[in-house]
Amino acid sequence: MHMIVSRFLRVFLLTGLAAVSFGSAITALATEEGLLALQYDVTGKRLFKIEANQLFQRTDEGLVWNAIPLPEDVNEGQLRAVSVPSTDPQALYIAGPSIGVQRSTDNGETWQELSANLPSREVTALTVHRRQDETLYAVIAENGIYQSQDAGTTWKKMDSGPSQKVNRLVHSDMEGSMQTGWLYAVSDDAVRLSMDCFCGWRPTGELDAGSVYDMAYSLDNPKRVYVATQQGLWRSETGGQEWQPVAGDGTVLVALTLSPKGTLYGLNQKGELLRSEDEGQSWAYPDA
Amino acid sequence: MKTKANPGLIPMRKRWFFALWLTLMVVGHAMAEDRLFSSNTPQLEDGKIVYRQYCASCHGTQGEGMPNWEGQNALGELPAPPHGPEGHTWKHSDAMLYRIIAEGWRDPWNKTDRLTMPAYQEILAPTEIRDVVNYLKSLWTQEQRRHQADESAENPFPIQTEIPPE
Repeated sequence: MHMIVSRFLRVFLLTGLAAVSFGSAITALATEEGLLALQYDVTGKRLFKIEANQLFQRTDEGLVWNAIPLPEDVNEGQLRAVSVPSTDPQALYIAGPSIGVQRSTDNGETWQELSANLPSREVTALTVHRRQDETLYAVIAENGIYQSQDAGTTWKKMDSGPSQKVNRLVHSDMEGSMQTGWLYAVSDDAVRLSMDCFCGWRPTGELDAGSVYDMAYSLDNPKRVYVATQQGLWRSETGGQEWQPVAGDGTVLVALTLSPKGTLYGLNQKGELLRSEDEGQSWAYPDA
Repeated sequence: MKTKANPGLIPMRKRWFFALWLTLMVVGHAMAEDRLFSSNTPQLEDGKIVYRQYCASCHGTQGEGMPNWEGQNALGELPAPPHGPEGHTWKHSDAMLYRIIAEGWRDPWNKTDRLTMPAYQEILAPTEIRDVVNYLKSLWTQEQRRHQADESAENPFPIQTEIPPE
């Protein structure tokens, strides 16, 4: 009898452990597969979306997302970032772990790998300089931030970066920097800021809003910054020194971008596009 | 029967000479660079004197900076950073370091009326500003000096017409 009970308990425990492990795996997979990003292209007046390791584009007025063909090796990695120069309508950069940094100069027809001078292809975030089309910043996991001033041909390590994992990197031309601008680094717990001379990272103001997903700033008024969090949208009029929650309809967004006209675009956790014309107070589905 | 020498092969003795010459060049260059930035050389003494007189009260006699320099204080001010390898002075080009010393700089998060870094263009002559920047270079590692030299290649000290002393 004792043996039967013991065996039953053992099977029960093992089954439970397996279920827990399987559950964790499903969650991790869902998180990996659900990686979303959104980027507004000022010159092309279009949106780029990363969803399920694919890159899509659509115009401001368009209703359909069109897939952009990507290099084959993207399938082996995790597409995390898309960034576009401010004046070159044909250039496009993508990046991600095991993908490195890749560039297209013909709107996605062909791609060039730009990771030859990087220490690894484990790129977790990428941004193009707001005013300098050929200046790029790439975050290499467990290494630091690299800068290229020749559109990715050569790279130079500039900084070890914040100690927290950086999920998004955004360059801003907000005034007050010793150099040419600022870099916002979005981590799960906070948004951090450094001048682009990498003179030290500073936390932005207190943001008691759970996980932080993404940020965007106004091109006309770079001090106006929005951040998408687990508890909705927050806004700063001081470049992130102080944050205020945006009183709105409670929409939670995991990706965020801003057009020069002031239209906010976001993606919800399902990857659906939402748009706000009133600074994030109310959101509508443009596809509906 | 004579065999033809392969023109592509360098005799062993010549190879040794070449390797020795290359090593001496590399070591010599590194030593020259170190000598240039040794704080005991006369070229840097002037900069050191200016530093001790005008900069050390905030940045420390040895360039150690103020305590807790990495974050803003309660007034939003950034304490004076160190100038050694642990700081970030070496990340700035000659042009930028010159401008910051000459014109000062205000951190946008600073909530006081003071500049974060005071301006010295009314106090120091252009040569003194350059001297003090060159002195700061003696506090960095060789790799940091190389990085800063790269940054300065396109952003050197401003060209200025110096007024000769009467």
